[in-house]
Amino acid sequence: MTLAGTIGSIILWTVLVSLFGLVAGLFLLGIDRKLAAHMQARIGPPLRQPFIDIRKLLVKENIVPENAIPWLFNSAPVIAVVSSLVILLYIPLGSLISPLGMYGDLILVMYLLTIPALAMVAGGFASGSPYATVGAQREMVTMIGYEFPLAIVVIGIAWRLWAAGVAHPFLLSSIAGNPIWGIVGPLGIIGLILLLIVLAVVTPAELSRIPFDTQEAETELAGGLLVEYSGRNLALFSLSTAVKTLVMGALAVAIFFPWNLSSFVAMPAGVAQVADLLFFLAKVVLVMFITVTLVRVGMARFRINQVVTVYWVHFALIGLAGLLLLMADSALGTAAGVL
Amino acid sequence: MDLFASLSTGTGYWNPLAWLLATVVAAVIVYLIWRRGESGYKKGTAQTTPFISGNPEPAKGMVHVRASNLYWGYLDALKGYYDLIVPAHTGVVNDYLLWYLGVTAALIIVVVVFV
Repeated sequence: MTLAGTIGSIILWTVLVSLFGLVAGLFLLGIDRKLAAHMQARIGPPLRQPFIDIRKLLVKENIVPENAIPWLFNSAPVIAVVSSLVILLYIPLGSLISPLGMYGDLILVMYLLTIPALAMVAGGFASGSPYATVGAQREMVTMIGYEFPLAIVVIGIAWRLWAAGVAHPFLLSSIAGNPIWGIVGPLGIIGLILLLIVLAVVTPAELSRIPFDTQEAETELAGGLLVEYSGRNLALFSLSTAVKTLVMGALAVAIFFPWNLSSFVAMPAGVAQVADLLFFLAKVVLVMFITVTLVRVGMARFRINQVVTVYWVHFALIGLAGLLLLMADSALGTAAGVL
Repeated sequence: MDLFASLSTGTGYWNPLAWLLATVVAAVIVYLIWRRGESGYKKGTAQTTPFISGNPEPAKGMVHVRASNLYWGYLDALKGYYDLIVPAHTGVVNDYLLWYLGVTAALIIVVVVFV
């Protein structure tokens, strides 16, 4: 492809995927709210409620507090949404090839995942409010907590793929193209289940949802790092949460559940892409329901010091146990092959 | 020279230009959404004072969260570890040299015995 063709393709796909990410992300939030309401014996808002909320926020006043640093306060929500949208470009969506899939791998995605959180921290510190400052501090501590278990999951999967002879094990297209469950033996299956549990526990923290929402904690910090945000800035932070929900679901699907409908049922190419995209969205909804909705309805909030212990001690150990089982599985598989 | 050839470390890939281009395009889309929103507010009114649950705002120094508190949750969660590590940092060079010699000796034993 020519240089102009490459640039044009990246621009076109960025526009399409961004629009898809914003709409699908908001619908995911709507589904989350509806399911949570039904579990609490409420009717709940309509699925399009997040769209209504965004429209309402866009017509409300956008207050910049007198203690705030205006340029940082206003740019933080923009950076949060932009960085969330860009991550989506690296992750396969069904059988569609991810637009930037060949320009970055899972390690890059891990780094990019920190940018929306850092934007929220910067926005919190720029608010000039003690509640927001404490919220920003908690966000940083939570981030330090969950990055380690997340890294164990990524390294574990990529290492096992490498041990199985898969070329470019960190590329998401390689991971999605070689479903990990078919590569490992019984020990490896147990290891993968442990790593899946770790990723499921990291997801609510990435999304600042219960039980890891200490940085916002309405009952203690009155909204924490978002306390001073209103109007269009708050709308953008809501959009960022929506897109990140889709990103985390898509990431879990790409790593652990990459199968496409077209692999099982024969269908024309055009129909297959649409069917695979719908199947992908169904898997994302299922992942979100289990990791976010079910957990937030059934649990209370952790204290900030408990968050670190949960991630650095309990789930880091569970992740390391999963990694060791994958290594044992690989060693046993190699030994069996030699014998 | 291919501008969109990814940097490769053997296992990792990263193309800053592709990321930058996508970021600029996404930023334009987000900026257009942001611009559609209401920009006005009542400057210099109670609206712009920090929200402290309705309490009057104390002096700035009184509500400032100090840097030493930033990692409170982290330090508190790993208290057992820091209770051991912090007293070991005495600031006395002799102690550090002793640690250095001890750790080196332990490493040599591990290397000689197990490798």
